[in-house]
Amino acid sequence: MIRSRLIAAAFLLGVVTAGPVVAQDVATGEAEAPPAPPPSVEEGLAGWQLFYEVASHPRCANCHTGADNWPMWSGPSYGKPQRHGMNINAGDSRVGAEALVCSTCHVTLSAADGGPDPLPHAAPRAATPWMLAPVETEWFGKSSAEICAQVKDPARNGERTIEEVIAHVEEGAFQTWAWNPGGGREPAPHSKQEAIDALSTWAAAGTPCPEE
Amino acid sequence: MGRLKTITRRTFLIGSVAVAGGVAFGAYTVAKPHDNPLLTGLGDGEAAITPYVRIDAEGVTLITPRADLGQGAYSVQAALIAEELDVELDQIRVDPGPPSPAYWNTAFADEAAAFMAPGGGLGESLAYGAISAAIKTFGVQITGGSTTVPDGFVKLREAGAVARETLKLAAAEKSGIAITDLRTEAGRVLLPDGTELSYAELAPLAARITPPQDVPLRDPSGWRLIGKPMQRIDIVAKSTGAMKYGIDIAVEGMLHAAIVLNPAQGGALNGFDATEALKMRGVSDVVEVTGGVAVVADNTWRAFEAARKISFDWGPAAFPATMDEHWQALADSFTEELRDSRVRDDGNVEFAFAEMPGLIKAEYRAPYLAHAPLEPISAIVRVDDDRAEVWTGTQIPRFVQSNVARLAGLDTERVKVNVLVMGGSFGHRLEDEVVKRATEVALLFRGTPIKLTYSREQDMTHDFPRQIAMARMRGTVRNGQVDSYELGIAMPSVIASQMGRQSLPGTGPDSQIVAGAWDQPFAIPNHRVTGYRARELAPISSWRSVGASSNGFFYNLGLDELIHAAGADPMAERIRLCSNDEARKVLETVAEMSNWGSDAGEGRGRGVAFTRSFGVECAMVVEVAATEGGIRIEKVFVAAEVGTVIDPVNFDNLVKGGVIFGLGHAMNCEITYTDGIADQDNYHAFEGMRMYQCPEIEVRGLENGERVRGIGEPPVPPTAPALAGAIFAATGKRLREMPFNKHVDFV
Amino acid sequence: MRLTVNGQTHEVDVEPEMPLLWVLRDELGITGVKYGCGIAQCGACTVHVDGAAVRSCQLPVGELTGEVTTIEGLGQPGALHAVQQAWIEHQVAQCGYCQSGQIMAAAAFLALNPEPTDQDIDAVMSANLCRCGTYPRIRAAIKSAAATMRSA
Repeated sequence: MIRSRLIAAAFLLGVVTAGPVVAQDVATGEAEAPPAPPPSVEEGLAGWQLFYEVASHPRCANCHTGADNWPMWSGPSYGKPQRHGMNINAGDSRVGAEALVCSTCHVTLSAADGGPDPLPHAAPRAATPWMLAPVETEWFGKSSAEICAQVKDPARNGERTIEEVIAHVEEGAFQTWAWNPGGGREPAPHSKQEAIDALSTWAAAGTPCPEE
Repeated sequence: MGRLKTITRRTFLIGSVAVAGGVAFGAYTVAKPHDNPLLTGLGDGEAAITPYVRIDAEGVTLITPRADLGQGAYSVQAALIAEELDVELDQIRVDPGPPSPAYWNTAFADEAAAFMAPGGGLGESLAYGAISAAIKTFGVQITGGSTTVPDGFVKLREAGAVARETLKLAAAEKSGIAITDLRTEAGRVLLPDGTELSYAELAPLAARITPPQDVPLRDPSGWRLIGKPMQRIDIVAKSTGAMKYGIDIAVEGMLHAAIVLNPAQGGALNGFDATEALKMRGVSDVVEVTGGVAVVADNTWRAFEAARKISFDWGPAAFPATMDEHWQALADSFTEELRDSRVRDDGNVEFAFAEMPGLIKAEYRAPYLAHAPLEPISAIVRVDDDRAEVWTGTQIPRFVQSNVARLAGLDTERVKVNVLVMGGSFGHRLEDEVVKRATEVALLFRGTPIKLTYSREQDMTHDFPRQIAMARMRGTVRNGQVDSYELGIAMPSVIASQMGRQSLPGTGPDSQIVAGAWDQPFAIPNHRVTGYRARELAPISSWRSVGASSNGFFYNLGLDELIHAAGADPMAERIRLCSNDEARKVLETVAEMSNWGSDAGEGRGRGVAFTRSFGVECAMVVEVAATEGGIRIEKVFVAAEVGTVIDPVNFDNLVKGGVIFGLGHAMNCEITYTDGIADQDNYHAFEGMRMYQCPEIEVRGLENGERVRGIGEPPVPPTAPALAGAIFAATGKRLREMPFNKHVDFV
Repeated sequence: MRLTVNGQTHEVDVEPEMPLLWVLRDELGITGVKYGCGIAQCGACTVHVDGAAVRSCQLPVGELTGEVTTIEGLGQPGALHAVQQAWIEHQVAQCGYCQSGQIMAAAAFLALNPEPTDQDIDAVMSANLCRCGTYPRIRAAIKSAAATMRSA
């Protein structure tokens, strides 16, 4: 549904070329509905703002840190943002291979919904090996404009199209964890669906970014 | 030997008693109430032999009355006995021994007596009050107050010496050779012709011989073990996972229990719903205990997990809900009405304040602190109709025994207490709530041993923390020197809180309110130290170095501010003010070790502090660098005067540990309460020092005195103020409250 | 459920969510592995899974893939691991409760990095808490063990 709205909007804007997915959508007849007008730049910016609230939340930003490779601890449990305790540095490998691998403490679950509710303040776990996000995707402490520019820059988003960015939010194991971290941790704000919708609106509006 | 010798001489003689297949040697406690008021509590039948050495067919067993919390007490006590007995440390076994009233910890009472003694200070004499009576009672076989070494230094060596001479008498009788021709070595008596008689084979004969008294102790120059590096007897077990701590012990047929106590400590349990918990696998029952509930299950984890599924209706805490109220209570305590002691009152501070302009004033704070030893508390209790048995790591086995007896309605001697190895304490195991709660559960499961293990969260939030304390300083300087220094210290009484939980009276002056401050060897012309006893707030307990842990900080901080105002050097002015040689020597030693006076370099600073506590003069220099990311503690130099170092390796390890403990808590630890609930429940919020923050530490033990003192606690009090002094030197920032990370970052 | 610990295979009937720590301690009676915090803050529960250091309090036994080694399996008197030997030589332990975890962390680390710098040691070993403050001796023991292992 969301995807079809994005694609419909993208069609109108001509920002993506028709591919098999689009053809399939067309074939199901959804395209027969009267095309919705594309979201305005303001709507797009509002969509971005919502996603920025997600991206800058501790559940995401704590591990989207810069080239010094320090994971961060911030959020309601901490008086002020601080480096991950215990002198933990993920190294250039971003998985701690140089010293202590993240998976020493952060368990890789075999299923996204695996395991019981962890104890408060236990090492969070996901259905993928724990790691820092790639260094190009530095979000911690960055402005909305900076993150916005990064997210739509294929050179800094893992060579993803916007659609792929949205799919990444939808399917990634860390994203699943971020909205269901357990252990009494504050989840990322809004819901995953709202974040996806917001990104879609932003994309359909031409991925406008806020001014600095 | 001076005073210590006199006291111990008066309180015990070494005797022997036959045991199955051998003989045991130990202290025969002599009650002389007129000579020593601390012995008035001994009843009939309590003046019995208290064994320190048992020799039977199994070999030599050393019975070490003081528990090992990690400080190496077993090894040190074994070495003291073995030194005179002529056995090697690898030939012997160690047994912590049963709870017994005759294991007097005379050194603990000694410490209290100094404060209680009339004339101990110039200002007033303190009555021999209820607090001292409580300490007397409490002092029986506790492990605390760094008293293991002072208490055992003479007793244990004498036990070894008397046992050796008795075995030689037995060998003389057996062989017909004169005792003067016999030698002892490595657990054997050697005859002139080379024949060896093992202690084990001589033991039955020795049991029939009256032990000689007044066997002279060997001259220190002839010591084989004392003063030499020794391998701790537990070191292999602790490096291979073989050491069984209290939490590792399993008793046949036991069930596991977890506990949930009202998070608002001391508050009521109004109700609970355990429906979900009771459905969980392995859960036998959920039962009410004092202050909460216990879950009984077939393993620890199932009990813990079920405990998370219970919902509760809790009453409020039995103390003020917010920290503001706690601090306000302390601020309101600096009154004549709440004055607890003023043992130090030299010159006339009021006159000095009136005379000199520029009165300097400051206020200092020290927070509640958890003990948080790495092994959470646990206890196994089995109650039967006519007896009970306890397995737990404790510093107070006699209280454990009597409390279990009382709860179970049994005579004390029907309760057997097995003292287990402890994974740290820092004063935590001077409390026995875990045993009481386990007993309550065990009473409902008669005949089944119940092992109650606290989760880390329950342990930390229901600890009885270090006292919260506040101090107010006033003082003046004259001609570049400190001229007057008044320090008022307000805190609730640790001893009263702790005694209260043992149903002992807690009135009268509490030495701990001013410990580490009233008795510092500095001759400041006008000097007054006053203790104010705040009302009870959160329940508190002894934390490594007790009153001195906060007061060493306050005292040195006040002195630093005055020295700074005088334009003097923190080291030089302390040395100038010293009123005893030991203090001067330790300060001069750390000055030399740290190259004090040389340029520390840009953005770097050194701080010095000195505290005399538990009879030990301890001086420390901390050196820090102010880096972009924050303060980095680079070096620490420590000198301590302990008279005699028994094991230099253990001494070095304990001093370094004390420094790290002191620095870690000063940096980043506090227990605070919101709505009466502790905000910190695990190490993420109560971290202490991690390895990357650990400085280089250089330790020197001075051995100038005839006395012997423990070193577990004395390094802690000067640590925080030395760090504060270093931060001031490096940054100009004066830190007046702990933890310091409220004001500076550490890297 | 089947698991291999110190070369021995065990069959246990437990919930897959049960942390490996408690399976080892309460079901198999292997108590060298310690409970200190339950949330990966102290490291006392460190074991090896196929040679890699793992906090056993965090690992649901159902997620275990590999062979477990505990301190008991690392070495025993007579056949001590170089790290244990160094721990004894330097008399590292005070209370000793954290030391199983410290030793297991150090052994896994030295297997990957036989020539650690002080900074390397601090990077890895800061995740193991010692409340007694034995860090200076741990540092020294790791360097000794590294030297022994290199010359072996």
